[in-house]
Amino acid sequence: MRPSTGLLMTLMILSMLGGAVAHTVLIKRGEQAENLQILQGVVASLGLSDLALSTEARYTRHPAVSDPVVVSMDHPGAIDHFPSTFFWAPVARP
Amino acid sequence: MTGNRLGRLLNILDYALSSLGRKSLKNGGVFIIFTLVVFLFASFQLVSRALTEAAQTVLATAPDITVQQMSAGRQVSIASSAKIPLAPIFGIKKIEERIWGYYFDESNGANYTIIGLPARAGDSGGTQLFGLAEGRLPVASERGQVAISDNVRRQLQLGNRKHFSLFRPDLSQASFATVGLFAPKTEILTADLMVMNLADARDLFAIADGFVTDLLVSVANPNEIETIARKISEKLPGSRVITRNQILKTYKVVFNRRSGLGTVCLLTALAAFVILAWDKASGLSREERKEVAILKILGWQTSDIMLLRFCESLSLSLLAFISGYLLAWVHVVFWGGALFRPIFLGWSVIRPVFSLAPPLAASDLLLVFSLSVVPYLCATAVPAWRAATVRADSVI
Repeated sequence: MRPSTGLLMTLMILSMLGGAVAHTVLIKRGEQAENLQILQGVVASLGLSDLALSTEARYTRHPAVSDPVVVSMDHPGAIDHFPSTFFWAPVARP
Repeated sequence: MTGNRLGRLLNILDYALSSLGRKSLKNGGVFIIFTLVVFLFASFQLVSRALTEAAQTVLATAPDITVQQMSAGRQVSIASSAKIPLAPIFGIKKIEERIWGYYFDESNGANYTIIGLPARAGDSGGTQLFGLAEGRLPVASERGQVAISDNVRRQLQLGNRKHFSLFRPDLSQASFATVGLFAPKTEILTADLMVMNLADARDLFAIADGFVTDLLVSVANPNEIETIARKISEKLPGSRVITRNQILKTYKVVFNRRSGLGTVCLLTALAAFVILAWDKASGLSREERKEVAILKILGWQTSDIMLLRFCESLSLSLLAFISGYLLAWVHVVFWGGALFRPIFLGWSVIRPVFSLAPPLAASDLLLVFSLSVVPYLCATAVPAWRAATVRADSVI
């Protein structure tokens, strides 16, 4: 077998795996779309403003309604000590 | 003519792949590191994309306007009487009071979000709610009732018990009975929630009568939200007025990979990889120089050897890119982005269970491609030129 044929077969196998993953993603997205109406109902009923992802600090639990200066809140210029703030950007206020 | 060109290209590709195989240890190392870099970068991007999309769609029904009181740069309770000057503003449909805050459970280190709500009109006295797996929401007429998530029930170690106590600021205990349980599929919103009526929340947090945490303003015409928000901020000095649009904007930037140390780390990894690729490709060994010299003696042109090196780089980078990108999808979709969860959940004790399914976007693919394969091809171009211009008589 020519090496280029081997490369082509490898690419085909990877493409098939990609197709399987894409299929799973589409199924999951379909399930999420069905669940979306329920989640939107919860948000509307309880007046929620944020996702409950990180609960370690109020500026990661409720970034949308936290104090504008809440990052570095301990004292001006303080370095944040919560790990999740490496992922969560400070909120830009208009 | 075209067939000849294709045949020549295939022959050069065959030779390039064989050449990669002969230096399997070196190229295998580059392949693994390249795959890992693409995997990390794409995973980070897919997790961010999935969370951003979830926030944009789920929070589309967030309150039209949230009004808070600020003092010395921090949020404080707002007087219920603040509703009075807002009443004449044309276009406001409804203003609701809400008390909410955090309760730190010292026994397990968990932070619960307590929400105290008035009974909702038009939904059977506030007892019906989407997203409850069992039971109902607390009603305004009965004290000491709470709806919680399954996650909170586990944290409180309630088991089959319905009753539990929380401490007020003066360390006296407030008792609650669980009357509703949020469905697990709403965990992305309700993982840490305890919903009770307004009076119970006021009692638990010892908030003075006549004060609440914020006011939720419903607007009849969504096109007027910004105008009404401006009027509210003019009527209430020192207030902070947050519109739904601002909430959604916040979630557009909050997971942005361009901010935060996570991105810096990943870009550092990418830069380190490009340097490695340059180093590996530019370090011409005696055998490689000899190989180029022999090829030139056999009649290969400089352009042929350049094409050979390009085929080598392209095959390696393309395979690594596809493998890394595929692994990233598997990591995000099947394992829920397990590697990044500790980063974006941090020290949270309550960890919501939710699945991630980012959209299949060509822009994401192109971004990762242009940040990984293109720099690699650029990094190997100059060494390839140096290798191709070796003079045959200088080696043999």
